Amino acid sequence: MQDIMAILPLVATITGAILVMLAAAFESFRKEGISILGIGLFAFAFFVQLTVENGPPIAPYETMFNGMLVTSTFTKVAGLIILGCGFFSALASQTYFNQNEGFVLEHYCMMLFAASGMLLLTMAAELITLFIALEIMSLAIYTLIAADRRSVLRSEAVLKYLMLGAFAGAFFVMGSVFIYAGAQSTKFADIGRVIGESGFLTNPALVGGSLLIVVALLFKAAAFPFHAWVVDVYDGAPVPVTGFMATAVKTAVFAVFANFLVINGQLQEGWVSYLFYISVLTMFVGNLIAIGQNSLKRMLAASGIVHSGYLIIALVAINSEQFTGSTILFYLAAYAVSTLGIFAALSYLGGEGEKRHSFDDFNGLAKVRPYSAACIAIFLLSMAGIPPTAGFMGKFYIIAGAFKGGYITLGALGIVSSILSMWYYLRLIIAMYFREPEEDFEVGELTLAPLGTFVLALAVFAISFIPVAI
Amino acid sequence: MFENFLSIMIFVPIIAGLAIFVLPFSKEAARIIGLAVSVIVVLLGLKVFLSFSGASGAFEFVEHIPINESLGISYSLGVDGISILVLAAAATLFPMVYLLFQTKQKGYYANLLIVQGAMIGAVAATDMVLFYVFWEAMLLPVFFMIGLYGGPNRLPATIKITIYTIAGSLLMLASIVYLGIAHQAQSGEWSFAMTNLVGLSLSGATATLAFVGFMIAFAIKIPLFPFHTWLPDAYTEAPTATTFVLSAVMAKIGVYGVIRFVVPVFDESFARYALILACSGVIGMMYCGIAALAQKDFKRMLAFSSASHMGIIALGIFCMNIQALTGTLYQIVAHATSTGVLFLLLGIIEERTATRNIDDFGGLAARAPIFAFFFAVAMLASVGLPGTSGFIGEFLIILGAVKFNPLIAVLAGTTLIIGVCYMLWLFQRIFFEKPNSKLAGFGDLSAIEILTILPIVILIVVMGIYPQPFLAKIEPSAQRQMAIIEKVQHVAEYRLEPQKSGQELKTGDR
Repeated sequence: MQDIMAILPLVATITGAILVMLAAAFESFRKEGISILGIGLFAFAFFVQLTVENGPPIAPYETMFNGMLVTSTFTKVAGLIILGCGFFSALASQTYFNQNEGFVLEHYCMMLFAASGMLLLTMAAELITLFIALEIMSLAIYTLIAADRRSVLRSEAVLKYLMLGAFAGAFFVMGSVFIYAGAQSTKFADIGRVIGESGFLTNPALVGGSLLIVVALLFKAAAFPFHAWVVDVYDGAPVPVTGFMATAVKTAVFAVFANFLVINGQLQEGWVSYLFYISVLTMFVGNLIAIGQNSLKRMLAASGIVHSGYLIIALVAINSEQFTGSTILFYLAAYAVSTLGIFAALSYLGGEGEKRHSFDDFNGLAKVRPYSAACIAIFLLSMAGIPPTAGFMGKFYIIAGAFKGGYITLGALGIVSSILSMWYYLRLIIAMYFREPEEDFEVGELTLAPLGTFVLALAVFAISFIPVAI
Repeated sequence: MFENFLSIMIFVPIIAGLAIFVLPFSKEAARIIGLAVSVIVVLLGLKVFLSFSGASGAFEFVEHIPINESLGISYSLGVDGISILVLAAAATLFPMVYLLFQTKQKGYYANLLIVQGAMIGAVAATDMVLFYVFWEAMLLPVFFMIGLYGGPNRLPATIKITIYTIAGSLLMLASIVYLGIAHQAQSGEWSFAMTNLVGLSLSGATATLAFVGFMIAFAIKIPLFPFHTWLPDAYTEAPTATTFVLSAVMAKIGVYGVIRFVVPVFDESFARYALILACSGVIGMMYCGIAALAQKDFKRMLAFSSASHMGIIALGIFCMNIQALTGTLYQIVAHATSTGVLFLLLGIIEERTATRNIDDFGGLAARAPIFAFFFAVAMLASVGLPGTSGFIGEFLIILGAVKFNPLIAVLAGTTLIIGVCYMLWLFQRIFFEKPNSKLAGFGDLSAIEILTILPIVILIVVMGIYPQPFLAKIEPSAQRQMAIIEKVQHVAEYRLEPQKSGQELKTGDR
């Protein structure tokens, strides 16, 4: 019974998804009704997640369901971030589809399914469960991207993502098989025990298996060298879906990544030196891609790669003895708030058919819509890590964690990377504030997205006050 | 009644600034709010200055609220002899700006208010993370003020100053984090409080890198050669009030940062590299002085002159003795007042004539005698004439420099003459020579303008004749600061003794 209570948020999300799917069949539930229902269900799931009781904060292998799932404060907070992302993406969707084509009634249903996959992902403590969760999430996301079948851009994006994602899935399954061969179990706890007894590097099946799994996770996390799909896919997806992918998917993937790496200290140590280089390359390649972009969405996609790099710094510096993951979660929350904020703003400022998408299209926004511009500026400054925003504290904790773990070079390179990233964040602020407006930024009927943007702008400051121990 | 003066001085301007942004005030209302708030801050600043005893050299007006206890981050404020004069400058100079200049948009006043609050915060913070927060918060209003209200080439100037300073401050962030870790490693607890970090014993390559991180951040802000290249563009393109803020107060916070953080925490690295830094100060002095001679645009000339003077102010820190340090702290205010007044007066000329070309002027002294008189006093203080505030500070610094390294002292002292050259030449070209017909309509200062500038001019003279009350507040803290660096055992090795260096020079000549 306690097991069921612990996964109550998951149950709530899945039930909600089915509810929305059924509701879509009724004449009386059209676009507006479904939107409100979807948003409300995300809010409901969020509160369920908030109130659910968890085990002690540091108990990664407190097992449930015969060792398939774990819950801890880490999974709880990760779940909160995911459901929060879902809530704000749903708000943004409502407004976005007021002025854009391509709405299908299953939109919110798919978002809820994706969220349930993500929740399961954060709790998975066993490879098969993990794979199922990964696929639930991915399939729902594919559908969300290409719900508008007539759009070539969307189809192209989903094709790229689907093909590469299928490869990553295959890698994951292959890796699971190897690990099963090496450890005779798919449960994290058992794998950890085997590694503890017989060593990690002495067991080729474990090395190969974990390599394949790390590759699959790096692909989902958009890390170098598996980052090439990100820019095109993010660009091709509808704005709120891009925001959802950039934040919630990243949260889920990094949560499971951290869970996987802390199975056993030796596993993490075996990968640390590689993750070190991957994080450096991810940050710098991401920066190079972002600097070259003219489209806002593409820039944000590339900056998402850079933020993955920062998160990998935190993974490198994970202390598997006393794993709390608080740095990772704080950074994810800070990143999610600012990224979602920008995407929420874009979903109403983008106008009909996303006609405003490049930096130049936002010239002089501050003179016409000062509040929206101020919110976007706050989000950008948070992503760039300027105090007193949440992004600053996130970066602070990550770098402090890296230094504390002895990775001075890595922390310093993180700093250099954030200096580079100033360029493209400032570029939008300069466009919005210092250039003259060329149009009057007319947008369609405004409803919930501006409200969401405003709340998120406040959250950027509020989150920075949450104290975190390293 | 209430005791947290510092918090009020920080947050009243910031909140007022944000309120102007958000609420639909008219431009005039914004100006009046700005003026009122800045006057309140002046009164609070005077209250703090007068009731500050400074006898013990310890922090006064202390406030302390923990923010993140597990990491030892707290909201702590305090004032001591190192910060009191910088604080006074940041608190008192602002009303002039509101009285003398009017702008087209209310956002300008909002930015001015926010930058003032942030600067006071940076000076009053005694926790490194808090300091960093205010330090970054200073930059954003400047970014918007130059970018929105600056001259025709404002965009490149804005980008330059922003990227430069942000790069510097992020490096400093890394160093701050390093200090927290070092404290945790040495005492088992996280802390970012100044008083705790001073006790760290730092050595090794990483400590040196952390030192470099701090130094680059402050060197960019001061600016110290070779990190000065943003300055001429930013000072020239910025609207007058912003240039005033940048030169009179913000640059000083860079100097203050070095004295407050770098000297006591990185005592050993600092002692080792002091000579190089001192050289960079002197090179900056000479280079910017010579550059100032060649300028045709008076604002640009004054920008280079300001950079040149920052060179000698910085030099005072690197000499590592009590005279030079006291001189630097004194000169911070002296330079703030003199350069501040010069920028304001030239700003008035620019507003009235819409030109900054020195050759367009001539014979202004006959048309505007009071204006010329004020300008002359500020200019003489800027070149360090005895009897003005500039003399005391520069004299003490040169005195300290002689003890540190006579060669540097000689170079610095000689370079001051360049300052006299370009300043007097500027004065001659603008105020004397034959009157320029284009300036026929140029009247003298109005009563409000006179009343605004007069107190500062009086202060310049008072500080030049009777420096004791100011020095008495500085000295105990300066001595404490010096005691820290004297403790570095090898300090003597890094400091060239006068006789020794004299001999070396001679052998070199042969």
